[in-house]
Amino acid sequence: MPVVTLFYYALVAFVSVILAVNLLKSRKWERDVLYVIVLLPFLLRLLRLK
Amino acid sequence: MTSRLLAQKIVIIGLGLVLLATSGASFYHSRRLKEPVVLGPGVTAVKQLADYFEPLRGTANNCNVYLLEGRERGATMLVLGGSHPEEPAGRLVAWILAENAVVQKGRLIVILSANRSASTVTRLGGAYPPDFSIVTRWGSQTFRMGDRWTNPLDQWPDPEVYFHYPSRQQLAFVDIRNVNRAWPGRPNGTLTEQTAYGFMELIKREQVDLVIDLHEAELQYPVISTIVTHQRGQDMATIVSMTLTDNEGFKIGTEFSPRTLHGLSHREIGDHSPALSLLFEAPEPFLDATRGITTREQLLTGKDEFVVKAGKHGLLFEKIDEKGWPIDVRVGRHASALLQVAETWGEDHPDKLLVITQVPRYKDVIEKGVGSYLRDPAKAAGRVIYE
Amino acid sequence: MSMFTQAGIVLATMVVVYVVVRAFRISTELAMFSAAVGGALVAGFGFPARHVAEGAATYLDINLIFVTATLFMNLLKESGGVVFVVRSILKRFHRSRALLLVLLTVLLLVPGALTGAGSVTVLVTGSLVAVVLHYMGIPKHRAAALIFLNAGLSAAAPPVSLWAMMTAAGVNMPYVGFFWPLMLPCLVAGLLTSFILGWKGEGSDVTKALEELPTPPAGMAWWRVLLPFVVFGGLVFAGRQWPFSTPIVGLPLMFAAAGLVSYLVSPVRLEFFRIARETVDQLLPLLGTLTCVGILVEIMTLTGARGLLAVTAVTLPMWVVYATLFIVLPASEAVLMWGAAPVIGVPLILLFNNRGLDPIIALAGMSLIWPLGDALPPTAIIGRLTVDVVGYKGSYGKFLRACLVPALIIVVMGTLMVVYSKKLAFLTGL
Repeated sequence: MPVVTLFYYALVAFVSVILAVNLLKSRKWERDVLYVIVLLPFLLRLLRLK
Repeated sequence: MTSRLLAQKIVIIGLGLVLLATSGASFYHSRRLKEPVVLGPGVTAVKQLADYFEPLRGTANNCNVYLLEGRERGATMLVLGGSHPEEPAGRLVAWILAENAVVQKGRLIVILSANRSASTVTRLGGAYPPDFSIVTRWGSQTFRMGDRWTNPLDQWPDPEVYFHYPSRQQLAFVDIRNVNRAWPGRPNGTLTEQTAYGFMELIKREQVDLVIDLHEAELQYPVISTIVTHQRGQDMATIVSMTLTDNEGFKIGTEFSPRTLHGLSHREIGDHSPALSLLFEAPEPFLDATRGITTREQLLTGKDEFVVKAGKHGLLFEKIDEKGWPIDVRVGRHASALLQVAETWGEDHPDKLLVITQVPRYKDVIEKGVGSYLRDPAKAAGRVIYE
Repeated sequence: MSMFTQAGIVLATMVVVYVVVRAFRISTELAMFSAAVGGALVAGFGFPARHVAEGAATYLDINLIFVTATLFMNLLKESGGVVFVVRSILKRFHRSRALLLVLLTVLLLVPGALTGAGSVTVLVTGSLVAVVLHYMGIPKHRAAALIFLNAGLSAAAPPVSLWAMMTAAGVNMPYVGFFWPLMLPCLVAGLLTSFILGWKGEGSDVTKALEELPTPPAGMAWWRVLLPFVVFGGLVFAGRQWPFSTPIVGLPLMFAAAGLVSYLVSPVRLEFFRIARETVDQLLPLLGTLTCVGILVEIMTLTGARGLLAVTAVTLPMWVVYATLFIVLPASEAVLMWGAAPVIGVPLILLFNNRGLDPIIALAGMSLIWPLGDALPPTAIIGRLTVDVVGYKGSYGKFLRACLVPALIIVVMGTLMVVYSKKLAFLTGL
């Protein structure tokens, strides 16, 4: 895998962690749902599924 | 955090995980769906694209290369199926060749998944089915649906603008993953560019005389039901078009490859190798932006009321009625056009013939169906490989 | 049941679900998601997990751009770089309002032109320009309008115009010949917008403004502000100048690199993780909108609702198409964002091509009009972002009214480009 692509996976992992931390700390159900929806494609890419 | 908040969060995250698991499983399985190929009586060897360009080994695009050597020497034809896997008629014709064709004179080289990576993904926003099945006499055979572009899991990221090599023509950024915008390829380029480069190496090493790139197009696209040809193939394409229109009962036109439009097989293969390059387009209403419900049935029958309405308003470059454009018709057109190219070539090159037998023509495919020409892998032990 | 009836029922269901969910004061993003799910259920697809996830992934790369670009800007802001630039610009150019407006217009056009995203303009230079406009005596709703409209034009401006690129890709047309047809109208409309909205200012007092502005941290200097931009610009330049000898970096990583440089050269120590968390928190509505739009478009395509819209759009009489471009394009943008290009742009360009218009000029004209929809509900994504970045707390309607006159000029320019595309074809240089 090219180095740049590895950087991209690292970037996706970083954003996923931030999204997950924010999701855990959020106190509104609407934001929880939105965080989960936004997180979905990041995780699918990170797991190399999509 | 109150227990109510916590419970709420657990439920939301749990539902998210279920969505992740179910969709993820679907993507995982469709990317790995194995498509069997029963090696026909004419197949004399199966190589891999990496045999021609080593860096492709171990990548998703190290596709199989089926060689069908004739009993007598003659011309060599390369057939590219699956440059755009979302255009299934091209892949199915290549399948029929690999499982049925027998070459008497000359040589046939067949590719079933020219951009194999693109066959493992479906279009974002396109709502494509993950796969489709063709009914056969022994059951049915399932194929990956595929997309127009290389899977981002195999090539990521995209640039902000795609500069075609070597012309430097600027193209839409996504087309950096379109193998039919990457010709003649680049040895140290992206996977897609390397794939095109691998085919160029194959064309040179195997001294290919004719390259046929099989495609399908939306009916709103002006280049449809036609043979697009490099300028060196103009005479031949015109004769093929006239002969097919006169003898086989379907109309097919000819278009000349624009000299300023780069990256396409009909332009670059002809410019960068001695081979003649032709590209066939058959109608595929499934690709139309005005299409209605997106299903496997629509893909295979080509029936669509919305596209018919667009046609009634004069917006299409090909006719369509309630009968649609069934896959048998599309495959049949490609099969006949391909055989006619071989015959017309032979008329011009009597010392270097290409004689292909056991391949159905237009009327045969319509009469018996594509599935009749697919062989049962369960009854072909030792002669099955996978795409 | 005919396909028209079936898709019509699905589309109607989507609209009803959307309206009902909004009536419960639930966010636009979740209303779109609910509409998509409702449409799929009515069409008999159940809950199509694969399609929901595939739709959600449509704008993954663009979401990455938003996160990295905004993180970069927030790091620059926290390091004191933004206030430093504002003070410097005011000091140097405050005597000539015209020069200041030209300079600000160019500053606004550059980031979006390079990235194709108006939101990047808003995020990268929008807040900075907003401060300067404030001290030029321009009220916040007008400042927001000025920034929003220029951001939209910047997105349409070359070299990267996503509407044009996506539509061109959809009709298998090379993205060539678009530079001048996009550049000239964007520049003219941008300057007109800035002068219409920014020429008059009440109570501008630059000396007082300079006194009031916070002072940047000690050690802040031009090189610290410019170095990240140089890195970003350098990466863009290298990729364009030597496309075959530089690796493909992609916009998200370019912004990440610029952000990293900004962090490293900051004269004050920055809390990276906190800023990253706040950035994602601030961006959630934008990220959510894009993700949910992706889901909605995918389900609309699955169920035929998208086809129904497209076939209806292209089978209208030509005069109706011309006369409604100013509604259809912004409205499609408001609902689908860039999804408007494949859904509406592709059939329209095929229609225009079929009717003998020049597709490049026509598409350039359409690209000019599309971004106006970014201020309109249901998404209003860039509009909301701009209002947020500028710090305007008043009514959204007032902001929209401020946009009206320049927006009309842009609409007229774009429509005329479509109608007279054949005569303007020389601009393509082809």
